[in-house]
Amino acid sequence: MSAIQLGVEGVTKRFGGLTAVNDVSFALGQGDILSLIGPNGAGKTTLFNLLTGQLAATAGKVFFDGADITHYRPNQRARLGLGRTFQISQTLTSLSVLENAMIGAFLHHPRIADAADKAYAALERVGLASRAKEEAGHLTLGERRRLEVARALGLEPRLLLLDEVMAGLNQTEVARIVDLVLALNASGQTIIVIEHNLKVVRTFSKRVLVLDRGKMIADGGADSVLQDPVVVEAYVGKKKQ
Amino acid sequence: MSNLDLAQSGALGDSRLAGRRGAAEVWTVANELPTFFAVVAAIGLAVYLLSNQFFYLNLLTMALLFGGLAVSWNIIGGFGGQFSIAHSVFFAIGAYTAGNLYKHFGVSPWIAILPAMLLSAAVAAIVSWPVFRLRGPFFAIATMALTEVAIAFAMHWKAVTGGASGLTIPYRAGLENMIFQQRWAYAALFLGYLAVTLLTSIVILRSRLGYYLQAVRDNDKAAEASGIPIMWTKLKGMAISAALTGIGGVFFMMYVRIVEPAGLLSLFDVGVKIPLIALIGGISTIYGPLLGALILVPLDHWLRAFMGSAVPGGNLIVLGLILVLGSLFMKKGVAGALRQVYRAWSRQQ
Repeated sequence: MSAIQLGVEGVTKRFGGLTAVNDVSFALGQGDILSLIGPNGAGKTTLFNLLTGQLAATAGKVFFDGADITHYRPNQRARLGLGRTFQISQTLTSLSVLENAMIGAFLHHPRIADAADKAYAALERVGLASRAKEEAGHLTLGERRRLEVARALGLEPRLLLLDEVMAGLNQTEVARIVDLVLALNASGQTIIVIEHNLKVVRTFSKRVLVLDRGKMIADGGADSVLQDPVVVEAYVGKKKQ
Repeated sequence: MSNLDLAQSGALGDSRLAGRRGAAEVWTVANELPTFFAVVAAIGLAVYLLSNQFFYLNLLTMALLFGGLAVSWNIIGGFGGQFSIAHSVFFAIGAYTAGNLYKHFGVSPWIAILPAMLLSAAVAAIVSWPVFRLRGPFFAIATMALTEVAIAFAMHWKAVTGGASGLTIPYRAGLENMIFQQRWAYAALFLGYLAVTLLTSIVILRSRLGYYLQAVRDNDKAAEASGIPIMWTKLKGMAISAALTGIGGVFFMMYVRIVEPAGLLSLFDVGVKIPLIALIGGISTIYGPLLGALILVPLDHWLRAFMGSAVPGGNLIVLGLILVLGSLFMKKGVAGALRQVYRAWSRQQ
C-alpha cells in the first residue's frame, strides 16, 4: 500500500439550507487513480472545489501529504501540487494556445523559454501542439477541454483532478485522453476524475467513489461498486425511469 | 525528476523529441527591440525636425508625456485589466515630490525621481489593496472616489501643494535642475520618459508577470488554480505602473514649473484622459497607448482652440463621441485596426 497523499475527513459544504457535500471522508494513496461518479447535482464538482480551494469547507478537513490544507487558497494548493481542470473550460481567450499552457508551466519554470518548452510538451501530449500559435478563443469546446488538461499538466501536479474532461469530446479525442490518463497514472501520477461515461470509468479505475445528494454512498472496486444495488438505484436506475 | 518528465518517458514519449520547440514559438524581449529602437529613433527625428517650430514642438512634447503616462497605465489597466482612473494621483505625487524637494531642499529632480517612484508605488499599493477586491466598473468608480479624496487632500495641505493657488518653483536653467532654455530639450526629456515606459512595458509583457497579469484579467479562476497569487500580481502591476506615472509627474513639474491640484488631479484632463488615450490607441498593446497620445493630444488641443470659446465643453462632446465610435467599431483601438488592415493587405499580396 502506497503512502497516503490526500486525506479528506468529514468534509461538508452547505449553501444556505442546501447541503451540497455532506460529511465525506476518504483517503487516496500516492499513484492511485479514483473515479468520482454520481447523478447530476450529487456534489461532485463541489467536492472538487473543496479539494482545490475554490470553495471553503463549512466543516471537515483536507490533508495533502500530511499537511492540513483546509484553509489554503487555490494558488497555494496549486503550488503544493494540486492541478485541476474545470467542468466549464476556463480558457484565457486573449492568449494563444501555447500561452494558455504556459500559464500553468510558469509555476515551476519562471523563465519564459523554459515555460514555453514545458507548455509545448504538454500541448503535444493532448494533441494541440500544431495549434500552438492560434488564439485560444478560436478553439472548439473539445479542444478547450484538452487545453485545460495541458495547462494543468504544465503545473506538474502531484495530484491531478479532471472534472468531466471527456464531455463534448469526439471518439478520437476521448481515446486520446483515456490513453493520456492511463499513461500518466502508469508513470506514478495520482489522479481523480469526475466522469459520466461508465465505460471510461471501468477502463480507468480500480476504485470508484459514488456521491448522491452530497453523501458518499459507495467507495470500492469498480466492478462491485457499479453493481451495488444502492448505486444502481441512485445513479443508473434513475436514468431508466 | 518531475511527474511530467516521468510521464513523458511513458507510452506517449514523443515529446522528448521536441527538445526546445516551445521557446521558438514565443515572442521575447529581443524580438521586440528592433521595433522599439525604430519608434524611438523616428520620434527623435521628429523632435529634431520640429526643434524650431515651438507650437508643434510643444504639442509633440505633451503627446510624448501623455504617451508615456498611457503606456504606464496600460501595464495595470491594459495587461492587468484593472481600469484605474486614479493615475492622476500618482502623477500628482511625482510632481509634488520633485517640486518640494527642489524648492525647499535644493534636491535635483534627477535624484527626486527615486523617492517619487517609491512614494507613488507605496501609495498605489496601499490604496489598491482594499480596492482590488472590487471588480470591473466598481473598481473604476472606487478609483474615481480616490481622485476626489486626493483633490480635497491637496487643497488643504497647503504646505506641500500650495493649496488652490498652486506650487511654483523658481526658474534656474541647468541640466542638473532639469530646467532648459531650449524647448527641444524638454521634447528630448519626454522622449526619454516615453522610452523608459515603453521598455518597461515590453519587459513586463514578455515576462512571467505580463502573462500572469493577462491571466488574471482574462480569468481569475483559472489563474488562481494555476498557482497565481491574484492580489500580489495585481499589486505588483499597479506599483510598477504607478512608479512610472510618478516619473511623468516629476518631469511635468520641471516642464511647467507651476502646478495646482485642480489641474494635476483633474478627472478630465488627466484621470480619464490617460485611459481614454490607451483605449483609442489600442489597449493592452505595446504601442497602442503611444499611438493614442499622438492622435488625441493634438486633436484635443485643436478642438479646444476651435470650439473652446464658441461651444464651451464642445471638445469633450467630440472626444466622447470618438470614444463611443471607437469602442463600437475598433474594439482593439487604432493599433488593432491597423494590424487588421495590414493582415488583409498581406493576404492579398
